[in-house]
Amino acid sequence: MKVLVTGAGGFLGVHVVERLLAHGYTDIRCLLRDRAKAARLLALSELHPGSQLEFCYGNLRSKSICAQAVADVSLVVHLVAGMKGAPAELFADSVVASRNLLYALEARDSMPLAQTRVVLVSSFGVYCVASLRRGARIDEMTPLEDHPELRDTYSYSKLRQEQLFWEYQRKSGFELVVLRPGVIYGPGGGAFSTRVGLQIGPVFFHLGGSNLLPLSFVVNCAEAIVLAAGHPDSAGQVYNVHDDVLPTASRYLREYKRHVKRIRSIRLPYFATRMLARFLEGYNRRSQGQLPAVITRYKAAAAWGGNRFDNAKLHSLGWRQLVATRDAMAQTFEYLQKAEALRP
Amino acid sequence: MSLRAAIVGCGKIADAHVEEIRKISSVQLCAVCDLEPIMAEQLAVRCGVPRWYSDVAKLLDEEKPDVIHITTPPQSHLSVTRQAVAAGCHVFLEKPVALHHCDAEAIVAAAIAAGRKLTVNYWPRFEAPALELRRLYETGVLGDPVHVESSYGYDLAGEFGMALRRDPEHWVRQLPGKLFQNVLDHVLNRITPFLDDDQPFIHAVAYCRDASADQAGRSELLDELRVIIRGAHASAYATFSANARPIGQTLRVYGTKNTAFVDFMARTVVLERKQTFPSALGRLFPPFLVAKDYLRQGLKNVNSFSHARFHFFDGMRRLLGEFYLSIEQDSAPPIAYGEILRVTSMMERIFEQVYPEVQV
Repeated sequence: MKVLVTGAGGFLGVHVVERLLAHGYTDIRCLLRDRAKAARLLALSELHPGSQLEFCYGNLRSKSICAQAVADVSLVVHLVAGMKGAPAELFADSVVASRNLLYALEARDSMPLAQTRVVLVSSFGVYCVASLRRGARIDEMTPLEDHPELRDTYSYSKLRQEQLFWEYQRKSGFELVVLRPGVIYGPGGGAFSTRVGLQIGPVFFHLGGSNLLPLSFVVNCAEAIVLAAGHPDSAGQVYNVHDDVLPTASRYLREYKRHVKRIRSIRLPYFATRMLARFLEGYNRRSQGQLPAVITRYKAAAAWGGNRFDNAKLHSLGWRQLVATRDAMAQTFEYLQKAEALRP
Repeated sequence: MSLRAAIVGCGKIADAHVEEIRKISSVQLCAVCDLEPIMAEQLAVRCGVPRWYSDVAKLLDEEKPDVIHITTPPQSHLSVTRQAVAAGCHVFLEKPVALHHCDAEAIVAAAIAAGRKLTVNYWPRFEAPALELRRLYETGVLGDPVHVESSYGYDLAGEFGMALRRDPEHWVRQLPGKLFQNVLDHVLNRITPFLDDDQPFIHAVAYCRDASADQAGRSELLDELRVIIRGAHASAYATFSANARPIGQTLRVYGTKNTAFVDFMARTVVLERKQTFPSALGRLFPPFLVAKDYLRQGLKNVNSFSHARFHFFDGMRRLLGEFYLSIEQDSAPPIAYGEILRVTSMMERIFEQVYPEVQV
């Protein structure tokens, strides 16, 4: 079975390739945007004799690259998504790129689409949580966002990306598995999710308080993806992905300060965040956008409203947390501390 | 009178057009359009635009807009302009105007032949510092211009720069002047008001200082440009740099009476005057006089901010306002067509020198 991993050189992609190799997949095509990322993947394959990595270089915005990438593959693990940048860029990287990939899969002569399985890595951002009461449990049955225009562009682009895959799945009949990770973290990743707070100028506004962070250590997340990709019962299913033991935002920030760097932070309780959001929205409207409404009441409810999370369905596949939360945080902070030390 | 506007091209800059159109009370944004339906849809949903299209002809036929904002890459500017003016629309065109000077001439000719108005989004000309500089020049404070230095910094690690660096098929790479073609309008636009020559002497030098910045592995993007321009009565020096830090945009105009220094990022205009204090006092006082000027400029900016007139695209708001007014009053558009063509002609001559192999 030939597997295509899009975004294989990325933060998550490298670990997905490693987990695929560990689970016995031997024929893997890695789609990379940056040629320099191939070396690390080749080093991984050398640890698994008999495995064969093939590289395809380019951007999924290109239809010709998509056609090359999907030739002869029967399993696609689609990780590519725009993470930052202007809204148009996020949509081009996440949604247009995904549509090109789906076009290419449909247009293939070499393999019937019905015999192809596609694994999409979506996001917690697709859920409609702003209208839920504080403390509500988020599981796979939670409704999808119905006001994407009120959310951040990343969440909207991930929602549209997932909708697109379900539309094509209904039309073409391929097997689709969707995973919705919470906050993926680990060595190589960023320090703070917005669920912890926002850095504004020299001050970090700690907005998450005692909310649980739906963290997913990158290795544990990759394990979930690979497990779901190969499980016979996962077709047509959605799985939330996060670790079993979750820290609060306060604890994460405290540990960061202890192990990585002292930073100036101001804690805002949720009601104060809502008041600030109300003020920013009003000022943004009155001044016709002179300052962006970085926090709105809707976004505040989605990010800092405070929810509980449920990964029971993921466990039903036999998933277990490979790296314990304490070790995962230690590895992450060690990496971040080294990165800080290297910063000019 | 209410005018109906539509946007063709839903890339990054389209957001700014939506925002600025909405500040004009007499204009209604009725639809957006992009060849890629997903891009049209996302802009319409995010910004609450009533309808979106993926076919310009259908948009023109169903919406019957009065004005089309063309924000597509310049490769399609000529064809979309022709479609738009044929349908009776006025055109607000995003820079760069076109791939080649001859295309820019054809765009202007199409608008004139159809009796429609056209302008290009040369918004930095309408920023508050640019208007203040124009006032200093027109009231004779500067005297006659002797020399102009226009400097433009660019961040290849920024949102747009990263998109370009990662994508080997990015539309900017297809331009004859590549990265320079997407920004040089703004650099030259700050110089041309002080040069009255149609065909000044131009000598351009460009090079790639940081090849590693081109992640797409093509290393074809030159990232430093220097241009010397010599007119009959004044000269100019234009600098584009993607490596100098901090990233700034400045203009210095040396006049026969005084010299003006404009910082477009900090939005300050400071006059460097002739020194009148005698002896050592003439070296003692100037820094305090300059500090006083900057303090005055800072307070002016605070005043603008407090009155919500300190937006990033404030110049675009002003330009759009004047353009729509010219339509309503059937008066001349805010930028003379000859001025647009003078800039495109100078740009083409620069690209011929720095990318001779890609000129056709």
